[in-house]
Amino acid sequence: MADIDVTGLVKRYGHVVAVDGLSFSVQKGEVFGMLGPNGAGKTTTLEIIEGLRAPDAGTVHVLGTDVLAHPGTVKERIGVQLQATALPDFTKVREAVELFAALYRQARPVAELMAEFNLEEKADAYTDKLSGGQMQRLSIALALINDPDLVFLDEPTTGLDPQARLNIWTVIEGIRQRGKTVVLTTHYMEEAERLCDRVAVIDRGHIVALDSPRHLIAANAAGTTVEFARVPGLDVEALRKLPGVDRVVADGQVSLTTRTPEVVLHALLDPQAPWAGAGSAGGDGEGEGMIRDLVVRHGTLEDVFLSLTGRSLRE
Amino acid sequence: MNAFGAFRALALNRVRASVRDRTSLIFTLGLAVLFMVIFGLLFGGNGVSLTLDAVNSDNTAASAGYLTALRSVPGVTVDVRSHATAFADLKDDSVVAVLVIPSGFGAAYEDKGPSQMVEIYQAGGSSSSTAIADDVVANVTAGFAAGQGHSTITLDSPKTAAVNQVTEMDYMLPSMIAYILLFSGVNYVAIGLVEMRVKQVLRRFRATPVRSGTILAAQVVGGALIVLLQILVLVLIGIWAFGARNYGSWLLLIPPIVLGTAAFVGIGFLITSIAKTSEAARALSAMVTFPLMFLSGIFFPMTGLPQVVQVISRILPLAWASDALHQVMNNGASFSAITTDCLVMAAWAVGAIALATWRFRWD
Repeated sequence: MADIDVTGLVKRYGHVVAVDGLSFSVQKGEVFGMLGPNGAGKTTTLEIIEGLRAPDAGTVHVLGTDVLAHPGTVKERIGVQLQATALPDFTKVREAVELFAALYRQARPVAELMAEFNLEEKADAYTDKLSGGQMQRLSIALALINDPDLVFLDEPTTGLDPQARLNIWTVIEGIRQRGKTVVLTTHYMEEAERLCDRVAVIDRGHIVALDSPRHLIAANAAGTTVEFARVPGLDVEALRKLPGVDRVVADGQVSLTTRTPEVVLHALLDPQAPWAGAGSAGGDGEGEGMIRDLVVRHGTLEDVFLSLTGRSLRE
Repeated sequence: MNAFGAFRALALNRVRASVRDRTSLIFTLGLAVLFMVIFGLLFGGNGVSLTLDAVNSDNTAASAGYLTALRSVPGVTVDVRSHATAFADLKDDSVVAVLVIPSGFGAAYEDKGPSQMVEIYQAGGSSSSTAIADDVVANVTAGFAAGQGHSTITLDSPKTAAVNQVTEMDYMLPSMIAYILLFSGVNYVAIGLVEMRVKQVLRRFRATPVRSGTILAAQVVGGALIVLLQILVLVLIGIWAFGARNYGSWLLLIPPIVLGTAAFVGIGFLITSIAKTSEAARALSAMVTFPLMFLSGIFFPMTGLPQVVQVISRILPLAWASDALHQVMNNGASFSAITTDCLVMAAWAVGAIALATWRFRWD
């Protein structure tokens, strides 16, 4: 049986439908990602599964138990990290861990957990004096205090610097290695691609796609993007006619989408092309061409979201 | 975990956090102590001069010598008065004590009669000066008797005269207990709980298996414990640093303090069901606490207030709390005198807590 079974989930706030008929399952041991912009309904869905909110319609089974009927039973076996750093004021790190340990029937030893998450050094610091990364480590440690089978992480790396984000990713990979099921929400593509076995792309309360990151990209963002600066005088129309180019977007920079990057690059860098540099009367006398700052990248979940919804994730 | 273990951990976390929250401490306990200091400076600063009346029923050379010995102590003035005048002086607080020298004093001193006892009466109320008077008189009496080589003259232990002459400090201590009941009771729960809700702390607790009712009860009981702790500290400071006295039973103070705490914590709890943000909670708390503080006889008797205000004050619980505390501490009242006060506070406590529990919003 799946660790999580959600069918026909609906949640309304007044006239706003936050979650509009979601159905999905999460298998044991997998890292399941929920990807979508702010307000897509990710957090609401998570909170219903965690037993924190009642849905207007639908059923939710977690670890074989009906959450709506037996929230206490489920809460004993899951670990939760909320989006906000929700800890009481004037509480030291060790005290926070001890407090949460007292809230479960069975809890892991406080010292062991603190050592595992590198929190010993900060044990006597007030939680509001922690850096973003330390706070997130504490927050995840608290989610694991009852040694849960299933862990929910709501935007675990939002607002962190790249170093701290990398650190949290290692922590999450560690959780997965111990065989725990992880459900996380994020709006970072890179995070979903690196951590998740499967990703549900959520937009306006709907799941618009659900698959492994690799399959999602292959199906919805097939191909490669060639990007370069848009230099004045560059003939964009001529670029559209190049062999192998599927789509051209030209704003601040030029993006060519293609399934045959070799062909496109060959044509683009042809010395005989009108935008080529050699021998031309460029302004700088060095004969530099008009193709500058060239980057070639593979499709990402960002492109998947764009192609599925027609909107960017960061809106 | 058992349910009580979780409850205790949550409540103690709340109490500990509040003790560490210096800003809130200043506005509750700190301000109460400051009020006592201000009132102490305004009304208490008598220096070390002591004025006593003596009723001399002996009129021998020995008793005259005894009075001379007393007068030789710097700052001490002793006037010989009739019995009636002396006790009238004591009642209107113009002397700190009355000494009664018995008629056999001279004979006892000359070792020709049975041993005698000098009696000292005090107005019960006054603070440090009475204690100093006790010491001075005791020393002089002991020295006077020792000079004669025997101890037929002794000093009786101080007797409290019939009327409690309540000093400013005696009046201030129950007032400041009421102040803390009001301010700490309302503020710690109202602002604390709303902040925990806004910052999602309550939501985080609810993500654990602990029942919602336990989480809420722990916060409210934690708030009540802070109030009781502050009152304990205030009473100790009042007695030791300001010489305030309790003329009644300490045990009898428990019902009004516990019920008052429950009533004001209940009102603070009620505010959390109305206020959405911590700013709103602060504003609402101020709207409740400040008018109550001035209209409920904490700082001055309510008899001077307009009739309408008195009626309103009679409905709100602070006047009843203040009355019960003053009755016990200043008048030494028995439980029958404060039964109504306690019933009104109990009604407020039950009503406010029930309504707040029913109307409580987790989001």
